[in-house]
Amino acid sequence: MAQDATGGTPVVEGLFAQTADGPRLLGSRCSGCGTPYFPRASVCNHPECPGGTLESAAFGPAGTLWSWAVQNYPPPPPARYDEPYSPYTLGLVDLAEGLRVLARLRSADPARLRAGMAVSLVLAPLCRDASRGELLTWQFEPA
Amino acid sequence: MRDVVVLGAGMHPWGKFESKSVTALCRDAVSAALADAGVAWREVEAVAAASSRFSGGKGWGLSGNDVVEDLGSTGVPVYNLSAGCAAGGNAFAIGRLLVASGAHDLVVVVGGEKLPKGFIQTSGVEDLNDPEYLRQLCVGMPGPAFWAFLARRRMEEHGTTERDFAAVAVKAHQVGKHNPNARFRKEFTLEEVLASPLVADPLHLYEICPVSDGAAAVVLASAERARRHTSRPIRVAASAVATARFGDGIPRGLASVVPDGPTLHSEAARAVREALETAGVGPRDVDLVELQDNTVYYELAFPEEWGLVEPGESERMVAAGETLPTGRLPINPSGGFLCFGEATTAQGLFQICELTAQLRGECGPRQVPDARIGLAQTLGLGGNGTAVVLSR
Ligand SMILES: [Zn+2]
Repeated sequence: MAQDATGGTPVVEGLFAQTADGPRLLGSRCSGCGTPYFPRASVCNHPECPGGTLESAAFGPAGTLWSWAVQNYPPPPPARYDEPYSPYTLGLVDLAEGLRVLARLRSADPARLRAGMAVSLVLAPLCRDASRGELLTWQFEPA
Repeated sequence: MRDVVVLGAGMHPWGKFESKSVTALCRDAVSAALADAGVAWREVEAVAAASSRFSGGKGWGLSGNDVVEDLGSTGVPVYNLSAGCAAGGNAFAIGRLLVASGAHDLVVVVGGEKLPKGFIQTSGVEDLNDPEYLRQLCVGMPGPAFWAFLARRRMEEHGTTERDFAAVAVKAHQVGKHNPNARFRKEFTLEEVLASPLVADPLHLYEICPVSDGAAAVVLASAERARRHTSRPIRVAASAVATARFGDGIPRGLASVVPDGPTLHSEAARAVREALETAGVGPRDVDLVELQDNTVYYELAFPEEWGLVEPGESERMVAAGETLPTGRLPINPSGGFLCFGEATTAQGLFQICELTAQLRGECGPRQVPDARIGLAQTLGLGGNGTAVVLSR
């Protein structure tokens, strides 16, 4: 696995994978109208879809930042974080494949973020779990 | 369809009422609305209730049944409507239809809420198929962060500053302090707003609404029935309900499609446009607006998205006092959610109470001079939007 992989366990299985080309989000794409979905979907919700089947698709790693926010207080369950709590940055990222994805932003000084800046997908630690060890989730960092 | 009027409106004040049940709050609101209308409970033919999932004696969102049982079980039909924070507007739309269709002459619409402490948590279901659970588990994004995304995007697009946002909160309390039903009746300076804790950067504590307890009710009547009671009826010119359009750019789970253009909050925009069209009212004809200001951001964004003002004009309007009751486009002369806090299912009806009082000219220091046409709007979980136009 790449340098961001720490041998941890995905927080939820089936949402992302480390591939030969790097980290990817695992979703679906409609064969009828091309609409992308994350996570995987079984039906297309596009009201003008001519009809199609949903096929497996992998998304990322390149995206641009649409907006961001700093989570200044510890979020209520089921959100996870390591004690003691330290604020993290959240982002909405537009992927080249036409998906707007919610994620944590990593290695990012909020003061240097700008809408439209290039970011890239990484698989990175979310928190340590007492029984499952290091939990990984998808995140983005400045490209 | 028949003409429908708001014959009576009543509220329980907003706040925290530890020792009072939500049914007791609703009793006070309905009793006030009935007294205002000059009708007795036994004359009411049907009830439309904004149903709560947070509170209520029977649970299961049977809020209307609790109210009917408490006021006297007359056997009337009860419609329990659930639409998240848009439930009040949704119940109002159904109540109006019950009268407009000719099914009933006198209908009570009620919403009441006692909310648990802290910010509203939207899920609670531990199921990986639930998008909200998955989002909180994998990313951790409570509601205020969602508003912070929108606020930050506006800063990037329009150059909105933190002081512009704070100015909306200052203005809200400037007018809300005159409202006896408001929970927070204290003025703040711009510096005090900016010095309040950052909840979700860039939004401060005084720029987002907390949760509250409260209840509001209205009595709807056919125009014909109303003639027995008043010569100056408040007319329901339109009541619209809409849901979000596919791909409007706000992820409701982990992701959405990237939209073609700027189409945020499509459910609210659609409901408002439809209401104005049905009422035959142009954007410049609206004398006042009660909109859902869970955060200061909405007070800047919504009027532009609905075509009431030009894109990017809102900050200047707030700075120039044009959204005050005496300004060109008064927004939330009640004080809005910022001064009331949010008692989710009651919000849509508190807005109707404010419009009714404004159109009657009963609002004292926060009165919009010669108000004739008022617009109210709610936005609720699940992509629910509602809008109401009242006129005199
Ligand atoms: Zn499709």
